[in-house]
Amino acid sequence: MSIKAFELVPAIERVKLMSDKAKTQIECLDVCGKNVYIGTNDCFVVHYSIEEETNSSGRVSFKTEKQGHKFLTVKKPVVQIKTASALNRIMVLCDNTLTLLNMLDLEPIMTGAKVKGVSCFCINENPIRTNPFSVEICVALKKKTVQLYTVTEDRLMHLRDLHIPDPAVAVGIDGIHVCAGLATSYNMINSETGQDQFLFPFDAENNKPIIKRISKEEFLLSGPSALGMFVSSAGNSKRPPISWSENLLSIGYVHPYIVAMNDEFITVHSILDMQQKQAIPFQGGAALDNFDGRLFVASGREVYALVPVPFEKQIQALLADKRVTEALDLAKNANRTGMTRDKFLKMYRRIQQQAGFIQFAQKEFEQARTLFLESEIDVRELISVYPHLLPSNCNFTRSVPALHEIADVTQLVKGDNSLLADFKYFLRTYLEEIRGTKAAYGFKQEIDVALLKVYAETNSPELQTLVAVDTGCDLHDCVEWLTKYGRFHALALLYKYHGENDKALGVWTKLVDDGVKDEAFPGLIFIVEVLANLSDHELVWKYIDWVLEKDEEMGVKVLTERPANDPPSERLRPDAVIDYLHRFPSAVITYLEYLVFQRKLEKETYHTHLAVLYLDNVLRLMKKDNVKKEELDSARSKLRHMLQMSSLYRVQLILGKAKETDMHAECAILYGKLEEHDKALRILVHKLKDFGGAENYCLVNSEGKDPAYRKRLFHILLSVYLDPSYERRDTLITPAVTLLNSSVAEFDTIKVLQLLPDNWSVGLLSQFLTRAVRSSMHNSRMTRIERMMSRVENLRCKEQCIELQRDPVVVNEERLCAVCKRAFNDPTFVRYPNGVVTHVHCAKNKFICPVTGRLFSSGSGAS
Amino acid sequence: MSTKQKADLKVIIMGDFNVGKTSLICRYIEGKFKQQEPTIGAAFFLKQWGPYNVAVWDTAGDEKYAGLSQFYCRSAGAAILAFDMNDPKTFESLWARFTPMLGAANENCLRVVVGTKMDTVTPETREITVEDGKRLAREFNEHIDISKTPFEPYFETSSKDGRGVQDVFDYIFQYCLPLSDDQRKSQSKVSRSTIDLMDDSCVHKNQKGKCGC
Ligand SMILES: Nc1nc2c(ncn2[C@@H]2O[C@H](COP(=O)(O)OP(=O)(O)OP(=O)(O)O)[C@@H](O)[C@H]2O)c(=O)[nH]1
Ligand SMILES: [Mg+2]
Repeated sequence: MSIKAFELVPAIERVKLMSDKAKTQIECLDVCGKNVYIGTNDCFVVHYSIEEETNSSGRVSFKTEKQGHKFLTVKKPVVQIKTASALNRIMVLCDNTLTLLNMLDLEPIMTGAKVKGVSCFCINENPIRTNPFSVEICVALKKKTVQLYTVTEDRLMHLRDLHIPDPAVAVGIDGIHVCAGLATSYNMINSETGQDQFLFPFDAENNKPIIKRISKEEFLLSGPSALGMFVSSAGNSKRPPISWSENLLSIGYVHPYIVAMNDEFITVHSILDMQQKQAIPFQGGAALDNFDGRLFVASGREVYALVPVPFEKQIQALLADKRVTEALDLAKNANRTGMTRDKFLKMYRRIQQQAGFIQFAQKEFEQARTLFLESEIDVRELISVYPHLLPSNCNFTRSVPALHEIADVTQLVKGDNSLLADFKYFLRTYLEEIRGTKAAYGFKQEIDVALLKVYAETNSPELQTLVAVDTGCDLHDCVEWLTKYGRFHALALLYKYHGENDKALGVWTKLVDDGVKDEAFPGLIFIVEVLANLSDHELVWKYIDWVLEKDEEMGVKVLTERPANDPPSERLRPDAVIDYLHRFPSAVITYLEYLVFQRKLEKETYHTHLAVLYLDNVLRLMKKDNVKKEELDSARSKLRHMLQMSSLYRVQLILGKAKETDMHAECAILYGKLEEHDKALRILVHKLKDFGGAENYCLVNSEGKDPAYRKRLFHILLSVYLDPSYERRDTLITPAVTLLNSSVAEFDTIKVLQLLPDNWSVGLLSQFLTRAVRSSMHNSRMTRIERMMSRVENLRCKEQCIELQRDPVVVNEERLCAVCKRAFNDPTFVRYPNGVVTHVHCAKNKFICPVTGRLFSSGSGAS
Repeated sequence: MSTKQKADLKVIIMGDFNVGKTSLICRYIEGKFKQQEPTIGAAFFLKQWGPYNVAVWDTAGDEKYAGLSQFYCRSAGAAILAFDMNDPKTFESLWARFTPMLGAANENCLRVVVGTKMDTVTPETREITVEDGKRLAREFNEHIDISKTPFEPYFETSSKDGRGVQDVFDYIFQYCLPLSDDQRKSQSKVSRSTIDLMDDSCVHKNQKGKCGC
């Protein structure tokens, strides 16, 4: 595919020479700064000055003026000219002889600086020795030798000869590597070692070998089969070959373009993708080359410049052709001279964005995505391509000049709905990807609103999370949009996010009341949860009636499942709530349970109220016919649990009611609470025959009390079992014995023995007795051990005491009181445990040493 | 297109014209089978292998490019010698035409023999047997120690359905630039995403096991 990379602009219209003969033809060309040198076929060297001018519309033109000319007198063509501006010289090859001329007046340098028998030469642009006042050249001789010279102002200093298998027809040099085109091949010669490496075969008879150094250590050669071969100094290739035309005459290179000329065309090839980009018809080309990044080309009589079309223009042309990859490649390799990095990046990003929209329009979504992401496009540019997706209050206008010509996506899809869905899906994934990243910075609202609209349209479950968690969606047009698509649950969530709880609840209650379908809505339970977590108690109050009417059991959760940090308020004060809940009997129970069991409020009225309600419930069930046994059992066990667990309710009140109906188990608990254990146990044993329960009663009611209390309870139980006044007492012998033998029951053995009827056999009681004896033995032994241990302790103390008193205290005239420093006249004195000896009257406190102030415990007394 | 950064390995593919060299590389790199024009001169691809860059050079099979192909062999670390499983002449060419060219490659260059267009042959029609292929592969690699490889460097592939293609390159890369198991895992993730060989490569892994014995 073609592109206009260069424009042919005339530089020297008609070469004016001394003898303006028709035969005079341009043979070679060199441009250096503002100097142009032309070599002709009739042995002239002509010097022009050249000035480049750019007019206001960006068109480049050249002004040239002839400076002088020189006839070299041998009547042979001038085949090569190279300027060495640092030396003020030009090197000229004519009649196989290389000579030096003065760069300005074209006078020959007559110091014998010349080489004969030369077929061609070239300058080493990457010399090893970098003396600014010399130039290194490589000269191919007509014999099998290549020579290296250092050129100075007036001399050609021979460096070395390199021997090659055939005479060279073309040469190139870079560093120490010489590339030579021979009769049948190209070779690479290392000038230091002389090593000669065969590259590939080439028929120089029928094709002109060309060697063009294009960068450090890399050459471009005209290869066989019309291929341009890249060869590195090491002798291999780092790029694939270029396919160009036959019979090339010369090559030029200005990154990223290779320019090749044959006798009919100049062709332009990109080094980026090796493709031909432009062909310029050009008859009778004589010379073409790049000079300091400028391309000049000569025909027989004229000189032209190949002026690069500005990159921006080329790139825009490529983009207009939708050649995205090429445009980006070119942009990346654009000549950045005179451009700051920031400016370049800005330009490059813009191109990426344009390219992104081209790919987008062609449904190449993956590429579009990458380009948009890399170029950090203002996401509103993308959203704005979709009708109505930007927030309605957003005053975004697309960038100028426009990045694309897409009016909107509907224009792209032309009514194809599945295609439209693809486009929307792209937007959606793109927005999801950048959401929360740097690229979304500052556009949270735009992104979230667009996502909301897309989600709402497609009924995506993501909608709920979007509106409920950290959303950028405002209420503005989202409300309208959500209503339009019937996403009421999301609408309510959005209201709630924005603190409009009343509106949110309004929507939800309507969803329930009107039975409007919205699959996303989880139902009444959701409203209950919301209310339970609502700190605005007035609002809770507003809806509490509504939920309780809908479902009492679920509704009461609004009151019972409140967060731990819910602030107290007059509205939700428990007493007020209980009063209010009168109409809802099961709700009130649940609420009281919540107060009593969960919040553990220790207020008599709640406990009593709950117990009474439980009891009422049981009574109601008892009155009813054909009530399931399980139901009644569960109601009663609830009641019992309550009675047992709590000690705050009014026992007498409950007991009165319980006694009326035969609720023995409950009565037993209630008597227990009144500490009327005998009554309680009698009920358990006589009425209920629940011996296990009786035993359990003893354990439960003695919990946390001292062991004697427990023993007392068990003793009462035993007494009940053995009560001689009870007419069916024989039936209680077995439980009595079981109780005695039970491992959990505890007794005062002596009392038990007094209580037992005399007629019981020892066998019956053997287990009890063995245990009693054993435990009494155990006690006795334990006591003995304790006694012995106390004795040991006592002995130790005595020993210590003796130890302390054993040291003699000698008192004579020399001994002085430690306090008053006077002698002892009395036989009595005081000695402190630390050895300090004083008068009795000097020892004010026998627990404190008067000298050191040390404190002695009262145990270790002084004497 | 160009190797700005130095490649860590150069792999070259050679074989008679029309045997399917370009198709093989295209299948590996792009995961697609598409109609190819005959290659002119040579073509070049870069492939990431773990931390390494591998340059894959596609050459033209036409006789007239013979001189260039030899040039492109220079400093190759591995060569794929491709033949068309339908055409015994292309098999003979490997030995007659192409191994001499590999003189320019690295001294220890791995040579992998690859049969192409496997989808077009049946056990009845094929003329080159697996044994023939393996024998040639052994012969070609006498200059190096391939005992550390799981089996001879011989593969049968189809660029059309993708069979065997990934294995060829994995084998070469793993031989020349061994990766640890972890690196390989992340590598295969990368290549999986571009090349749709999931099922085929699994099936073929099993076959590989059989081949090795
Ligand atoms: N059925 C089938 N056809 C294939 C396969 N591989 C290649 N072909 C066909 O064989 C022909 C040649 O393929 P290329 O990849 O161009 O062959 P090449 O070796 O690169 O040829 P040159 O570049 O000229 O050396 C094309 O028509 C392909 O479609 C394959 O695995 N199966
Ligand atoms: Mg090919």
